[in-house]
Amino acid sequence: MRRMVSESRRSQLLRGVLDLCLLAVMDEGPAYGYEMTKRLRERGLSIVGEGSIYPLLGRLERDGLVETYRAASNGGPPRKYYRPSSAGRLALALGVSEWRAARDAVDAVLAPVKVEVA
Amino acid sequence: MSDFVEQCRGEWKRLGVPDPLAEEMAADLASDLTEAEAEGVSAEELLGSSVFDPSSFAASWASERGIVPVPPGRGNARRRPLVLVAFTTVAAIALIVSALLLATGQPKLTLATSRTTPAGTSRSVVHSVSAAAPVEWILLVLAIVALGFAAWLWASSGRSRSPTAPA
Repeated sequence: MRRMVSESRRSQLLRGVLDLCLLAVMDEGPAYGYEMTKRLRERGLSIVGEGSIYPLLGRLERDGLVETYRAASNGGPPRKYYRPSSAGRLALALGVSEWRAARDAVDAVLAPVKVEVA
Repeated sequence: MSDFVEQCRGEWKRLGVPDPLAEEMAADLASDLTEAEAEGVSAEELLGSSVFDPSSFAASWASERGIVPVPPGRGNARRRPLVLVAFTTVAAIALIVSALLLATGQPKLTLATSRTTPAGTSRSVVHSVSAAAPVEWILLVLAIVALGFAAWLWASSGRSRSPTAPA
């Protein structure tokens, strides 16, 4: 029960910043869908339970925050690569700033709380 | 996993997604799933809970890309609150009116009874006025039932509004 509540909260927290995370990992270098999932997982961010990244990538594309092109991937089939557009980089910068402000404010509130997990 | 891709393809066709775009999405999805499988990553790790509902996944992806206007059902979900508000308002007004009519006794709804005399040719009409005419009671009962139904609809609507795909 406790685990379910914890996963639900984590899911809700991630939902608001997953677009920023995607923009951030593709800002490191153009990437296709699965590649982005791998980059997120390498940083400990598994998207299980958060739904798929594909609709989110679609939204970023629709909003003009990413540019796409097709290219072969390590001898494999051509893949659709994503990279942030100039609008996407601006959105990333603003989003990161908002995230840090929100994180610091929440930390200030939660910092005094003593946590004892049985 | 080809089943999943095929079901997505079917949903895109049903939604009227242009073939080149549907093919592009299907190819990307199939390539990603194949690569993930080769690396021992399950489809669920890649697609999350969407793996259990290919139709919703496909509709959501197409909708977010702006290829199709709105997934089926979303439009209805947006209209539903307006219809519910109107229905609840009408039921509440009916309840108030009927209650006022019963409480104040004004205006009275008149029940007319016609009676034919044994003579056959002449007819007398008797008007009877009661303190609580049946029509008002019927209106009151209908309003209460309607409000109960509206409350149930509101509760159902609230339960069905749960988060799904990432925002």
